[in-house]
Formats: sequence, C-alpha cells, structure tokens
Amino acid sequence: MDARLVALAKDGDRVAFAELVDLYSGKLYNLAFRMLGNRQEAEDVVQDTFMRVYKNLDRYDSQHKFSTWIYRIATNQCIDRLRRRKAVYSLDAGVTDGDGMDGYSMLPSTRPTPEQQLLLSERQRTIATAMESLPPKYKSAMTLKYVQDLSLQEISDILHIPVSTVKTRIHRGRDYLRKKLIREKDLL
Amino acid sequence: MNCRDAGLWMHEYLDGIIEEPQQIELNNHLLDCPDCRTRLDQLEQTEAFIRHIPQPVIPDRLSERIMQALPKPTRRDAFKQWFKRHPASSVAVVFAIVMLSSFLSLWDKGTDLVVKGADLDGLIIQGDMVIVPEGQTVNGDLMVENGRLQVDGKIDGNVIVVDGSYNAASTALIAGQVQDIHQNIDYFWYRVKQFFSGFSR
Repeated sequence: MDARLVALAKDGDRVAFAELVDLYSGKLYNLAFRMLGNRQEAEDVVQDTFMRVYKNLDRYDSQHKFSTWIYRIATNQCIDRLRRRKAVYSLDAGVTDGDGMDGYSMLPSTRPTPEQQLLLSERQRTIATAMESLPPKYKSAMTLKYVQDLSLQEISDILHIPVSTVKTRIHRGRDYLRKKLIREKDLL
Repeated sequence: MNCRDAGLWMHEYLDGIIEEPQQIELNNHLLDCPDCRTRLDQLEQTEAFIRHIPQPVIPDRLSERIMQALPKPTRRDAFKQWFKRHPASSVAVVFAIVMLSSFLSLWDKGTDLVVKGADLDGLIIQGDMVIVPEGQTVNGDLMVENGRLQVDGKIDGNVIVVDGSYNAASTALIAGQVQDIHQNIDYFWYRVKQFFSGFSR
C-alpha cells in the first residue's frame, strides 16, 4: 500500500522510496511521453518529479492520496514545458467554431515525430498527431483519462479544477479529435 | 430532444454517467436521426483510436537513474536509518553505553587512600598505611585502595586491596578471602562482579 511506503520514505527510508520509484516511474513516463512527444523530455519530467517529491516529502500531507500528489507534480511539469514551446495561433475557422477551442493557443498539425512514425498504422499516426496538437489544458485532461485511466474525480483532484470543468475539457477534446480525424484523413 | 442536446448527452453517455431518462430520450432521438447516429459512431471510434495508441517503451533502468540522481543521504540519515532497521541491536548498544558510563563513573582512579568497610573501629591510619592492630576485630569486609594494609588483628570478612599492598602478621586471622587487585583489568572485572552481585543481594 502506498501510504505505508510513503510513511517510511518520509522517515528517510531510501528503500521505501526506491519502491515508490518502481511503482510510479513507468506510469509517469507514459504520461509525460504522451504529453510531450519525445523520450528525452519525458525522462526529464520523470526525474524532476521524483526529485521534487523527495525534497518535499516532509511537507506531504498523508490526508491526500499520494498518487494525486505525484501526478499533479508531473502534469504541471508537462504543462509548463508545453507552454514554453512556441505557440502558433491557428486561424483554422472550422476548428474554432461554437463547440471548438476559441481563443486558445493551438499548435498546427505537425509532421509526425520520429517516435510517432514507429506507430503501426496511419490511423494511429493521425490520432497521435492530433492529440499532440491539443492545447495543454485539454491534452492533460485527455491524457489522464485515456492514458492513465483515471476517473473524473481523480482528474479533478490532480488538476485542481471542478469535475464539471474536467468533463467540459474531455468533451471538447473528443469533439476536436473527431473533427481532425474526419477532416484530415477522412478516416471516419 | 434536439440534435444540439443529443450532442451534449452523447458525451455523458460516453463518460458512463448518463441518467436513465436522458438515456431513453437520446435513444429515441438516435432512432430518427442518422446524422446524430453517425456523430455518436464517430465519437466512439475516436475513443477507440485514442485508447489504441501504443504505449511507449519505458527506458531501460529508468528507476536506477532516478535513484542515482537523488541527493546523497547525510551521515546523520544513515545513522538514524541503522537504528530504525535494527531495533534490537540499537537497544543493546544503548544498554552497553549506559553500563559503560556507569562503570566509568564508579571508576575512582584517584591516588587518595580509600578505606571501606562496615566496621572501621580501632583501625589505625598512618600516611598510606592502614593497620588492624593486634587484638582488634573488624566485623565485616574491609577494602583498602591506594594504600598498604597491615593486618595484625582479626578480620571477620573478606579483604580487598586495590593498587596497594597487603601484609598479614602471624597473629592475623582473616575469616574470608583476600583479593589483591593491581591491574586495571582486574579492577574492571572486580567492578563488574560487584555490580552484578548487587542485583543478587
């Protein structure tokens, strides 16, 4: 159980901390990779996240779930990095209609990254590229739901936003991707 | 239910949180609206695609690198950790320290003459010499430290001489044992025995 390991780690037990690293490093790597699109940055985020956890263990309140705390740190790191990348505003009218993403910075559909080219089918490449192009706040909600399989409540705790906001971001994320798939590759 | 509402409720349905009345209305709407049926179908396919994006391969020995990058534990941490992981040994160590310090506090390595006994009546002390005169009886044990003991009379008990010397005249009569302790080790064991014999009394 997480709580026991965390209590030990707080006392300085490095073996317990190493177990936490084993439990979470894979999950965090998946999250970061899907958010950032490349291995190097994904690994940097995972390293930074555990470093922060280690240094702030004494401030961690065991009333809250450890998984929520660590996911929050990792997600915020990813969002920060995404925001620092150059934002290009798209005037693609079709996408910014009523139920689209008005007024938010969007990255245009880029060519697939080398990692993405390794994906098996064109469909998968398209959807991965489309996910890449989501604005950070939608991307985080979608990734936490579909990659980490977390519930709306858990996502709400991690992102520190109401459940209704999580729902809105996921609904808009789905609509956006649906339109991308229809428009770009006529796949649906 | 119109298409706009159907579009919203579709998402609730996909999230698995649609209420029964809305579910029924949505189904009814879908029966008559091919556009909305297509839309729902597309949304479901979109979800399926998202879920089927392959997970990346976790880099080799990622956990190791993470642990190596952490700040090294301080010596104080390592010390604390040892105590936490070896509670029995820790207790033994603390016990030994307490015992040792109590021995050391009892260690009285001055050069002063010390005479101990329950009955010191009649003893003559001259300089560093302690004399039990002829005809005198000491009732009990007698210990002399850092001095010379001259026994001419009777001692109804044990005699211990520490870092000194001992001499008995022909008229001496000692009921118990005589111990003549010179070396530090002898003294230490003497103290140990004394300490534990204290428990048995």
